[in-house]
Amino acid sequence: MTETELTSGGKAFVHHHAAHCETGVTAALFGDKGLEISEPMVFGIGSGIFFGHLPFVKWVGLPISTYRTQPGAVFRKAAKRLGGEFVTRKYRNAKKGMEEMRRVLKSGQIVGLTTNIYWLSYFPNRFRFQFNGHNIIVLREIEKGFRVSDPVLEKPVDCLTEDLLRARFARGPLEPHGFMYYPLSINPSPDLRAACIKGMEDTCNMMLRIPLPIFGIRGIRYLSKRLIKFEKTQGFDEACRQLGMIVRMQEEVGTGGAGFRYMYAAFLQEAAELFGSSDLGELSEEMTAIGDIWREFAVTAARIIKKRGKQEETFAKAGGLMLICAGREEELFKNLRDVAGKLKA
Amino acid sequence: MKVNEVPQDNTVEYYEGVKRACYAVNDEGKYVIVTSSGWSDEEFINGLAVKELAENLEKTRKAVLAGEKSPLAYHMERRQMIPEILGKTAGVAVFRVRRHLRPGIFSKLKGSILERYAEALAITIEELKTVPQN
Repeated sequence: MTETELTSGGKAFVHHHAAHCETGVTAALFGDKGLEISEPMVFGIGSGIFFGHLPFVKWVGLPISTYRTQPGAVFRKAAKRLGGEFVTRKYRNAKKGMEEMRRVLKSGQIVGLTTNIYWLSYFPNRFRFQFNGHNIIVLREIEKGFRVSDPVLEKPVDCLTEDLLRARFARGPLEPHGFMYYPLSINPSPDLRAACIKGMEDTCNMMLRIPLPIFGIRGIRYLSKRLIKFEKTQGFDEACRQLGMIVRMQEEVGTGGAGFRYMYAAFLQEAAELFGSSDLGELSEEMTAIGDIWREFAVTAARIIKKRGKQEETFAKAGGLMLICAGREEELFKNLRDVAGKLKA
Repeated sequence: MKVNEVPQDNTVEYYEGVKRACYAVNDEGKYVIVTSSGWSDEEFINGLAVKELAENLEKTRKAVLAGEKSPLAYHMERRQMIPEILGKTAGVAVFRVRRHLRPGIFSKLKGSILERYAEALAITIEELKTVPQN
């Protein structure tokens, strides 16, 4: 789904509907400077896929499970690996931050911003929660506000100045401090092959080699084993709340389905064409199959919570599905590491 | 996931007409973006979380009316904040925010502090001093 808008410089900006905010914004900023690159490509080059289960970091009282790297990392890594030079600014003073943004917008340049999603009132109410890592693009100033291209929405929308001010300078965990970024210069013909290889190797290292039991493949195993014992250790109600949270992190927060696994499969497919490598094509298909198991896990989880007591679907089954994912992902990333090592830049 | 497997459960109430982008494989085996009108399983799980928030808020509202908590507790929760976030936003130390959640202490607060809370919560001072009756 695309939609064309004008920036204040009179240049056309094409809005692409994307699955995830950060990759969508990064791809759009590159596209605006003339380098057409897809969202999955940015995601793969920026090594966005990950897994982590943080039982001691609580968010609305529930432990966090994440299917991606920390906010901001994809943008940073993709920009570096694609040879884009970006201006990144944070502000102590909110007024100054807004003035600077207006100045840049007037010059005809679009900007990416990190915001708090709760204060963006153009979102449906049920998506609005205190989370300080949502990325959007501001196109131009309009009466009483700004024209905003939010990649997870189908079309550009209007945002009130007051909302944007609050969203940019919200406080709490991961404070954005009005974080603003825009490209200064972009390499029009970057070495895509080298960037892809770097992205894949980085991903394999993160998934396989972090020596902590809560990250990567080890993290999936750790969570699935916790999940199997959930009912005994937490009680049924609390176990359901935590299970619900895991599914929300997997499906709801703009992942493109199955906790970014489908998006990564799309990246592997594009890379397979780029390198003409059938190995990568097979890995892409395997990733899709793994994604399907993650989906099955989500369906099972929903059934467990719906049935409440009737023991058709159990926590043991949900945990078992996740263990299968862990095993197959481990195999996949080991293969990917071998394949990426043999590819020529 | 195949293109025709992308959930189209039309969960209007939840999505408010917003469609979400999903990655799926088309007939030729290529990945494409498909817009989904919602997935009922996801809606169900998100609905539970939303319901829990609403129930807790209702409990707090009743506690305020019963004089057990200050209206600040209600408005903080309505904005999905906790004392740490509210304290930073309003520029008030967290232990003071916690004290101000007690009705007796809240009722004696100076106008300047109330103004800071009202500004942080994006409401007027009059709203801050009361909670909806029903």
